Amino acid sequence: MKKLRTFENIILDLSKYWQKKGCLLYQPYNSEVGAGTFNPATFIRVLDNKPWNVCYVEICKRPRDGRYAENPLRFQQFYQLQVIMQPAPHDIQRFFLESLEYVGFKLKEHEVRFVEGDWDAPTLGAWGLGWEVWLDGLEITQFTYFQQAGGLELEEIPVELSYGLERIAMLLQGVESVFDLKWNNTLTWGDVYRQNEIEFSEYNFSAADTRLLVSLFNQYEAEAVRLFEKGLPLPGYDYTIKCSHIFNVLEARGAISISERVKMIARVRALASQVAQLYRQKISEQSVLKKGVKR
Amino acid sequence: MIDFLLEIGFEEFPPAFLSKAANELSDKVVGLLNRERIFHRSVRTIYTPRRIGVLVLGLTRRQKPKVVEIQGPPKRLAFDERSQPTQMLKGFMKANDLKRSQIAVRKVKKGEYVCGKKEVIGANSEDILFEEIPKILKTLEFPRTMIWTKGGAKFPRPIRWIVALLDRRPLKFTFAGVRADRHSIGNQHFSFKSIRLEKPREYINLLRHGGVVVDPNERRKLIVKRIKKAVEKTEGKPFYTNEMIEEINCTTEYPEAVVAGFDEQYLDLPEEVLSTVLKNQGNLIWLKPTHRFVCVFSAKKKALQNVRKGYTLVVGSKLYDALFYYKNDSKQGLARMEAQTKRMMWLKGLGSLYDKAIRLSDFADFFKGLPELNLDILKRAARLCKVDLLSEMIRENDFTSLQGIMGGHYAKASGEDTAVVSAIKEHYLPKFAGDKMPSTKEGVVLSIIDKIDNIVGAFLSGNRPSGSYDPLAVRRNGYAVVNLINTNSFDITLFNAVKALLKLYKKDIENKILFEFFTERCNRYLQDKKYRYDEINAVFARWKGDIVDACMRCAALKTMRGKAEFTKLVIGQKRVRNIVKNVKGLGKVSTELFKRSAERKLYKKGMETDEQLNALFESRDYQQILDLLLAMRPDIDKFFDDVLVMCEDEKLKKNRLALVSLINRIFLRFGDLSKIVIEGEKN
Repeated sequence: MKKLRTFENIILDLSKYWQKKGCLLYQPYNSEVGAGTFNPATFIRVLDNKPWNVCYVEICKRPRDGRYAENPLRFQQFYQLQVIMQPAPHDIQRFFLESLEYVGFKLKEHEVRFVEGDWDAPTLGAWGLGWEVWLDGLEITQFTYFQQAGGLELEEIPVELSYGLERIAMLLQGVESVFDLKWNNTLTWGDVYRQNEIEFSEYNFSAADTRLLVSLFNQYEAEAVRLFEKGLPLPGYDYTIKCSHIFNVLEARGAISISERVKMIARVRALASQVAQLYRQKISEQSVLKKGVKR
Repeated sequence: MIDFLLEIGFEEFPPAFLSKAANELSDKVVGLLNRERIFHRSVRTIYTPRRIGVLVLGLTRRQKPKVVEIQGPPKRLAFDERSQPTQMLKGFMKANDLKRSQIAVRKVKKGEYVCGKKEVIGANSEDILFEEIPKILKTLEFPRTMIWTKGGAKFPRPIRWIVALLDRRPLKFTFAGVRADRHSIGNQHFSFKSIRLEKPREYINLLRHGGVVVDPNERRKLIVKRIKKAVEKTEGKPFYTNEMIEEINCTTEYPEAVVAGFDEQYLDLPEEVLSTVLKNQGNLIWLKPTHRFVCVFSAKKKALQNVRKGYTLVVGSKLYDALFYYKNDSKQGLARMEAQTKRMMWLKGLGSLYDKAIRLSDFADFFKGLPELNLDILKRAARLCKVDLLSEMIRENDFTSLQGIMGGHYAKASGEDTAVVSAIKEHYLPKFAGDKMPSTKEGVVLSIIDKIDNIVGAFLSGNRPSGSYDPLAVRRNGYAVVNLINTNSFDITLFNAVKALLKLYKKDIENKILFEFFTERCNRYLQDKKYRYDEINAVFARWKGDIVDACMRCAALKTMRGKAEFTKLVIGQKRVRNIVKNVKGLGKVSTELFKRSAERKLYKKGMETDEQLNALFESRDYQQILDLLLAMRPDIDKFFDDVLVMCEDEKLKKNRLALVSLINRIFLRFGDLSKIVIEGEKN
């Protein structure tokens, strides 16, 4: 009998594949993020300009995408498998396609499309060029060569692969709704997350206290700035991430106008670029120090 | 004869500039061959999403030989008194490897010199291509590039292989860190294995085996054929444009097609929503009016079932979202959305979207005299045209392009007049050069009003364009305004419209900056209409912002330009203007001070012409006007022949200058023809 590819096994298999390619297995971050890129294992490490290969699952929150568990393909929280290879290997596209085979796709029976996607994360001051990868029309992965992060040019160009794990699992299991996805042999994705989807949709679209959120945004921003002044970019970055998530909730809540939106994005981006600059400055000072010690 | 294949292989290239890149490469290779005198029989341009290239058949192995001339010593130093070669000449011949038969004495500017003439054998084509091809690759230009290795080359996407094969020999140059060789890569969905090419002529067939139709023209035909085949047994008519087919062509290496469908409940969505969803999902082709579509894909035939299933699912999900937004928006209704526009800021310091709508509606009054325009409809549409920016549908990235169109649908649902609905729907048109125009008068005027307001708003809020900086795309807006006014022959003075709008803003800004902006846009428009810059300058010398009129004047000049009289006309004004260009403070002409009959005649002719022009300007008969101006020429010539303007008698001189100036002013009623450039400039 054909082995059922459960959601959890797919995650294990993909992780195993990238582990074999030399990636360190990391873990999701302990703060709400919209994408694996926000995890310091990506955002901070790509600023290093040093070899860094890593793979981890990220729990991504996209408040606007909630549909009260009514749309089989749209949900406000999903899992990404994030891979960073820095510098990007020459064969990376083949590695990626092989990873799909590794988790069980017979690629000859599918269409894989690399659809142009100039990726940018405005709140992180990061951008890159690459593709959305479509499997039979469904976007399953973002494939990006980073060019800039925190407004700074990158030298060792990293490649980022962000797999949409639910989508991939749905295709492999042949189910048309995420809620029917087999997580393991007994439970479905719906069993685990349906209630979560309903409640968070309610929260993001109607229940969120916008006043509180605006005030938290201001306070977190101030705290980040205070930490930068103390020369602490990493704790400051934690507060940057929090601002970014609050912004996402406010946007879903319909609480900000177009022009306010632009302004808030600019404020978060300003924090992210301070993180980047400060961090770069610190590591270059430290490497000077280390060299001194060696001598 | 030998063949040459160049193929640059990369990861999937942006479709928008793929064919342009391929054509640039092949043009440059052909340019190189011609420049280097390498004969070739045929050239094929290659592109797929993963490669651009050029296949040249029937090249010569060597450059065509060339005869070169080398100048040697002067004759007097080259030969001694017995006409024998001197040491100097012998040295020259030795250094250049010339035989006695190859030299001759030739007269040049500086005198008589010895010249050597010899045929140089052409260099190897191989050497030239090896040297020059990498240089060509460096000169390719793209709108957007990236790097993929530290300090590496820039290109739109990473280059992964290069084939450069001259007959059986690879030219192993290096570009962007990649060594050129004889190995290509096929469709990687078929196989990762590379394809070894023994010679260029195998290329097309071997790649076809590898799942790639490399010739774009062949592939395009195949796409259309596949679509036709797929829909043979299905109802509905495939609904596609050439642009869609070309975009598919740029994203497909080996086209197959399959029919899929969506739930019939989605046919309740506005047609524009359906076609937008289908187009955004990889150029799916709608089989109108059914709930089916064709998907062209790039994979093996056995992928067909999965592809059908996948696209059915994803289209269904997108349409589900669209219907979700559409229902929410319809439930909310136009009135509530309009109320919300008060909270939505438009541009910094310029109020809300609601304020903008009120302003557009007030500004509409300026256009009230236009024929067939229903002002009430226009004002109502102006009030509602921005409301859909508050709708859920338009706020979703996938559907932002439907702004206006959705506003129209929501207005219709709220029971607005159909003319109001069309004006709202069409007021963003034209969105780009060559786009379609609004179909109703109210739609056209609303589009003009909105765009002028966007421009003035941009200038007032610190978003003036400069260089490549134009954040609010006001240049495009300005061009569209000019185009709309002229295409519809609106009798509108643009500068007055701008003044009227500025009054509504109650803000201080120098009119001049805006006038210059519109003049520049109009100039651009006229240039695109193939009027020459000097014709435009002549007309613009006295321009008040009437675009239709400027076009007519340019057209009259252009018509006359072909004829012999044109030069006569232009020189006429030039003669006049040259005399008075730096003179100021002239009084009226006094007929008592005329001494010569030529003065009297010119004056009389001028006054008559001026009088006759009045009616002609009224009817805008610019052809006739130019004829009349031309008819002054004999009297102008006679005047300059017989009369000394700069005479010693100050009084006479001033009077004569005043007369010339009067004639100049008559010309200027049309424009400043002295700005016309005449070749050779005499007559």
